Amino acid sequence: MSTAPRILPKGVAEADFDTALGRFREILDADSVLTESDQLAPYTKIMMAGDDADYIPSGALLPTTAEQVQEIARTCNEFKVPIWTISTGKNLGYGSAAPGETGQVILDLHRMNRIINVNPDVCTALIEPGVTYQQLYDYIQEKGYKLWLDPPAPSAIAGPVGNTLDRGVGYTPYGEHFMFQCGMEVVLANGEMVRTGMGGIENSSSWQVFKWGYGPYIDGLFTQSNYGIVTKMGLWLMPEPPAYRPFLIQYQDPEDIEEIVEVLRPLRISQIIPNAVVIVHTLWDAGTHVVRKDYYDGTDSIPREAIERIKRDEGIGEWNVYAALYGTPEQIEVNWNIVEQAFSKSGKAKIMYGEEAEKRGGGFEYRSALMKGDMNLQEFGLYNWRGGGGSMWFAPVSQAKGSETKDQTALAQQILGKYGFDYVAEYIVGWRDMHHVIDLLYNRQDPDETQRAYDCFAELIDEFAKRGYGLYRTNTEFMEQVAGTFGEPLRNVHTALKNALDPNGILSPGKSGIRQ
Amino acid sequence: MQNTTIGPLRLLSNTRLKSLALLGGLLLPMVVSVPNAVASEAREPAEVYRQICAHCHALDKAVGPEITMAFPETAHEAWGNYIRTTVRNGRGAMPSFREAKVSDEELDALIQALMYGEFADTAEEE
Ligand SMILES: Cc1cc2nc3c(=O)[nH]c(=O)nc-3n(C[C@H](O)[C@H](O)[C@H](O)COP(=O)(O)OP(=O)(O)OC[C@H]3O[C@@H](n4cnc5c(N)ncnc54)[C@H](O)[C@@H]3O)c2cc1C
Repeated sequence: MSTAPRILPKGVAEADFDTALGRFREILDADSVLTESDQLAPYTKIMMAGDDADYIPSGALLPTTAEQVQEIARTCNEFKVPIWTISTGKNLGYGSAAPGETGQVILDLHRMNRIINVNPDVCTALIEPGVTYQQLYDYIQEKGYKLWLDPPAPSAIAGPVGNTLDRGVGYTPYGEHFMFQCGMEVVLANGEMVRTGMGGIENSSSWQVFKWGYGPYIDGLFTQSNYGIVTKMGLWLMPEPPAYRPFLIQYQDPEDIEEIVEVLRPLRISQIIPNAVVIVHTLWDAGTHVVRKDYYDGTDSIPREAIERIKRDEGIGEWNVYAALYGTPEQIEVNWNIVEQAFSKSGKAKIMYGEEAEKRGGGFEYRSALMKGDMNLQEFGLYNWRGGGGSMWFAPVSQAKGSETKDQTALAQQILGKYGFDYVAEYIVGWRDMHHVIDLLYNRQDPDETQRAYDCFAELIDEFAKRGYGLYRTNTEFMEQVAGTFGEPLRNVHTALKNALDPNGILSPGKSGIRQ
Repeated sequence: MQNTTIGPLRLLSNTRLKSLALLGGLLLPMVVSVPNAVASEAREPAEVYRQICAHCHALDKAVGPEITMAFPETAHEAWGNYIRTTVRNGRGAMPSFREAKVSDEELDALIQALMYGEFADTAEEE
């Protein structure tokens, strides 16, 4: 028998928690209320540089219907039990499936996994939170629909609802997921259910096609937030184009990042290149399939000399642009000429597609899969680069301007270098913005290195904020600090909304730094 | 009719269905109807392997170590425990997989199939 003290939700008496658990067992089957430590183990694995002891749930609830979720919310309100909602729960590098703080009960919606509707005419889907990209992909294949998904890199094992609610990204033209979300069903903290957009109209056929509905548009309130539990979500699917041409452009000089962004921006804004393009640094492109110690054994950041050897030996550029064209073969030819002309001007770019691109040493194959919405987990190879299972995504936003990219790259390299970490990074180019995604990889088995990673991440947040750069998303360990960088007036609005919608503060306390 | 409704549903007991019917009164008028509950079907080990494991552990992916080779019977217990612990707790870069994603029943069957090397050929083809 375990002698460890029982973990309780913060501020909840043991007797009240037991009564609440009893209610949960009435609402769900007894085996859908998990309290044993071996059952809860999967909810405790984190990759970020936080203390394991800070992220242990007191239980997990596994509903199968929205009505059960309503009853759970009412019970939580009655006993002030805090719940942390996850859908497919693969928020890896952002907090995974662990609660925001020890003692919270996980509301795990993975078993709510119905694909309610896929409409191949208007190219929409309505799904529950537990549906994975793989499940939806298989379903579409089985039906023979000519529709594409837009998965993030963990594709198969993650899901559209959780990813979109954390405002994640993918790599097709539908890469900015929240832009392609349409209509939600949400259970509020008091157990009431609301449908957003056109969903409030009885028998509306336009819930999944018209985002705005009537009056204030509220879907955004339920993303990166703790104002409700999303139990259904609509999304738009891309019709499969008649032709698709993924391509690779390599540049060899670190300074070239400025030119790349300047050439890319007009092509991206005018939709000549319509997808979420990535500009991948050497160490990321190599890191998905090369092991660091084959090139460098030191514990400090990998030196320039080793990076040059990787570039030479592996056939990888300093910057590797992965993008694609979509449309009829004729459209692709026209756009290809425009892209080629634009990138050829300075004579620095090596532009490739097809076999030539495949033969280069980077990630062309897996990037090509992701840019057409296929399932692929090759990017997990990044965790073999340094080993030890530690990972945190530092992802500041910038304008798509070469000067900002240069500034951000230099600042990140300088801070990472100070703490002995590598610059494993890529820029994801949105319509006119960029997410500078840096994977802070470290050995989580080594307490000193973990502490260094923590300090490094904290400094990155502060130093980037000082130059006007904020993060698009962050992990649970740093949510409070990042919320601080966006200023008090915004925090006050977030808090006012929290107090109005969830006065007992039962939903995901601390998410994005928001509490009642 | 091109629109579709499907669902890999879990088994709902009769009592659960009754209480759902009671809860029905609380719902908004246009809640999408819950399709009749069907018996939950545990996925075949090969399907679990294809949907989850193969993406990293297939030989041509080489993101995670090879897991498809058969093990001698004397090592079955130890290997089975190792897989179970790794799946549920994660290990290094490998994420943990919860009961809600891979049920205990599915995991047991997967472990059996892996121990006997049932996917060895599949992995090579991939
Ligand atoms: C190698 C690697 C590559 C990655 N690449 C990408 C990438 O390309 N793009 C990207 O976006 N991410 C990426 N990630 C990060 C992450 O794994 C994905 O974003 C993943 O999709 C998130 O997990 P999920 O989809 O299972 O969502 P979940 O973990 O289920 O949900 C994410 C968060 O959303 C909120 N939430 C979830 N469900 C609900 C709900 N029903 N109601 C209210 N709030 C809810 C919760 O706060 C939850 O923590 C990557 C991770 C790794 C390890």
